[in-house]
Amino acid sequence: MISLLVEDNPGVLARISGMFTRRAINITSLTVSPCEKPKLSRMTVVINGSERELEQVRKQLNNLIEVIQVRELSSEDAIVRDLCLLKVSAKKEQRAEILQLAESYGARVLDATLSTLTFELADEPRKIDRFVEIMRHFGIKQLLRSGICAIARD
Amino acid sequence: MRIRFRMKKNLSGAEIVLEGLKGEGVEVVFGIPGGALLDLYNMLYDEEGIRHILMRHEQCAAHAADGYARASAKTGVCIATSGPGATNLVTGLATAQMDSSPVVALTGQVPTAAIGSDAFQETSTFTLTMPITKHNFLVKRTEDLPKVIHQAFYIASTGRKGVVLIDLPKDVLAERVDIDTDVHVKPPGYNPKTEPNIMQIKKAVDVLVASSEPVILAGGGVISANASEEVRVLAEMLQAAVVTTLMGKGAIPEDHPLCLGMGGMHGHYPANKALSECDVLLAVGTRFSDRLTGWKTEQFAPDAKIIHIDIDAAEINKNIQVHIPIVGDAKAALSAIIRNLERRLEKSGGTSPRNEWERRVREMHRICESCINTDGDDMLSARMIKEIGRILKDDTIITTEVGQCQMFAAHFYMTKKPRNFISSGGLGTMGFGFPAAIGAKVACPDRDVVDIAGDGSFLMTCQDLATCIENDIQVVVCIFDNRYLGMVRQWQELFFERKYAHTHLGVTPDFVKLAESFGCYAERVERPEDLREAFKNAFESGKTAVLDLIVGKEDKVLPMIPPGGGLTEMIGVERCNI
Repeated sequence: MISLLVEDNPGVLARISGMFTRRAINITSLTVSPCEKPKLSRMTVVINGSERELEQVRKQLNNLIEVIQVRELSSEDAIVRDLCLLKVSAKKEQRAEILQLAESYGARVLDATLSTLTFELADEPRKIDRFVEIMRHFGIKQLLRSGICAIARD
Repeated sequence: MRIRFRMKKNLSGAEIVLEGLKGEGVEVVFGIPGGALLDLYNMLYDEEGIRHILMRHEQCAAHAADGYARASAKTGVCIATSGPGATNLVTGLATAQMDSSPVVALTGQVPTAAIGSDAFQETSTFTLTMPITKHNFLVKRTEDLPKVIHQAFYIASTGRKGVVLIDLPKDVLAERVDIDTDVHVKPPGYNPKTEPNIMQIKKAVDVLVASSEPVILAGGGVISANASEEVRVLAEMLQAAVVTTLMGKGAIPEDHPLCLGMGGMHGHYPANKALSECDVLLAVGTRFSDRLTGWKTEQFAPDAKIIHIDIDAAEINKNIQVHIPIVGDAKAALSAIIRNLERRLEKSGGTSPRNEWERRVREMHRICESCINTDGDDMLSARMIKEIGRILKDDTIITTEVGQCQMFAAHFYMTKKPRNFISSGGLGTMGFGFPAAIGAKVACPDRDVVDIAGDGSFLMTCQDLATCIENDIQVVVCIFDNRYLGMVRQWQELFFERKYAHTHLGVTPDFVKLAESFGCYAERVERPEDLREAFKNAFESGKTAVLDLIVGKEDKVLPMIPPGGGLTEMIGVERCNI
C-alpha cells in the first residue's frame, strides 16, 4: 500500500497509472482525491506484488516529476477504509434477517424496495469482504467498492 | 532556483518560446515546420541567435538533436508539428530517453479549443509520449510558457538526463500577453540526488582496498557525468581492470593497458572473463541491461561484492542485486572514493600491490587488442573496421547504426575519448547513426564525423542526405553493404538452421548513384587496402560522402553469448587468440 502526494495537474492520473502499466505491475486498488494542501492530491495505491516489485514501484513513482511524496503504509501503521455500496435481494421472509445482519456490521440502509435492500458500509477491507460474503447468501444484485483510502497513524 | 523575467509587454507565445530557448543558451534546433507551428516558425525565421536546420523527417530531427547532445554534452532541441510530425518524432525520442540523452522536443498542437475534436493533424502527443519521456507538458495558457520552457531544460539536463517534450497548441503560440514573473525552475517533486552518501563511500573503499581482483565496469553514466578522468585515476590507483558497456565505450581510452574492452553479449572475451571472475565489481552509471549481463544473471560476477554507483535510485537492485549501492552523480561519487582511498593509502603508507592481478589484466588487454583472428572468409567486415580505425584521427566521432555494423564497430574500433562513440544502445534503433552524425557534426564542426552503417539501417533515414547538402554539413557514411539485415541473418544462420526468413534485401539500390543524386561524393570500396584512398577522397570532396563497402554476406560478429546463455558460455571463442 502506497500513499502519494501528487501535483493536481491534468494528466497526472494517466502518468501514474501508465507507470504501472509500463512496468507490468497490476494495481489492486487506486483512489485519488483533493487533500488539505491546495493544488495537490493524495492517492492511495494498493498493489499485489513481491517486495522487490514494491521497491521498484516506490522508486519509479519517486522519479515522476509530479509526485511530491511517496510513503509506504502497512495495515499496522495506517487507518484503512473502503466504501461499499451493495444491493441485495430481500424477499419478505428474509428481510428481517438481512437487516439484522447488516446492523451487526454497522451497514446503513440507503434504499429499500419490496424486493431489494441497498446498503452502505465504510470499513476495513477485510470486514467488507466478510459482509459481502454473507450477503452473497441472499443474492447480490449489484456491488461496488470505492477502493482503499489510507491515512497514517501518528 | 528562480529566473526573473523582466517586464515585457505584448509578447506572443512564439516570442516567449524563442526568448526561453535563447535564455537556455540554445544555438541550434533541428526541425520541420507545419500548420500548428506557423507562428513559431514565422518568428524563428528572423531569429539570428538560433540556427534552424531543416530535416527531411521528424525522426531524424530527434536523432540529430540526440547526436548533438551526446557529442557536445549540451541539451539538444528538436521541433515537429502536430499529428504526424509528433508521431514521427516518437522513435527518436524513445531512443534518446533509453540512453539518458538530454533532449527537449517542441511539438505543435491544434488550438486548445479544438483539442479532443479529432481535428486535422490532431493526435494526443501528451499521452502518446508519456511513457517515452522523462517528463512532458501540454501548455494551455501562454502565460505558463516561461515556467514550462525553463523547467523543461532543467529537468532534461539534470539528474538522470532524458527527454522532455512541450506540446504547444497553435493559439498558445499566437496569443499575446505581458510577462512579468518569477519562474521556479525546480518543480516541487523533483529532487535529483547528486551527492553520494559518505558512509556508503567508506564501505565501498573498505571493499575495494581488501579486493585482490577488482574490476571497474564503466557505463554510459560515466560519459554523461564527464567522469572519464576519475575512472582512469581510480583504475590506476587500484590496478583494477576496466570493462565498459556499449554506452560506456570511450569512458577510458581503449588502448589503456588496464582496459579490457566491452562486456556483454557481443563483448570482448577478456572483458566477460574479468566480469565473471572478479572479486569486487565497481559498476558506475550502468543499468545492467540484459545485453550486458547475458540471460543467466547467475553467471554475472557471481563471486563478487558489487558496488553500484547510479544517479537513478530505481536502477539499484532492478536487474542485479548489489551489495553496496551508492546513489549519486558518477563524477561526485568517484571523486569521493578517490579522496577517501588516497587518505587511506597515506595512512597505511602506500598502495596495496596487486601485481599478479595487474600482470594478468595487462596480459588480457594485450589479448583483447589482437583477440580475434580476422583472417577468415567471414571476417571481411572486421578487417574493414580495423583498417578504418587505422585511418581515422583519434578525435573522430563515430556514430553507428544498429546490428552487425554496430557490433563490429563496438568490437574492432578503438575509441580513445568519451563522446567519440555514439550509438543507440537501449532502444537499438536502426536509422539512428546517420542523423545522429548530422547532429554531432553540427555540435563539433571542426572534427570528422563518420557513421558506421549497414545497408538495411541506412535506407531507413538516408533521405537526410539532402539536409547535409543543403546545410553544408559534412559527414562520411560507411555502409557495410551485405544486402542482408545482417544481425538477424546471423541469428538465423546460427540458431534457426540457416532459414533466412525475410532478411535478404535484394539488389537495390545502387548506393553510389543514390548518394550522387543528392549531390554527395560516393565511392564503392571492395578491399580494406583501398579504404585509405577512399577516405582521402571523401574528406577532400568537401561534401557529405557515402562509401559503399562491399562486405561478405556471411560475415559474423563472433564470439557471442548465444540466446539463453551466460557470460561464460560465449560461442565462437575458438577464433580468439587465447
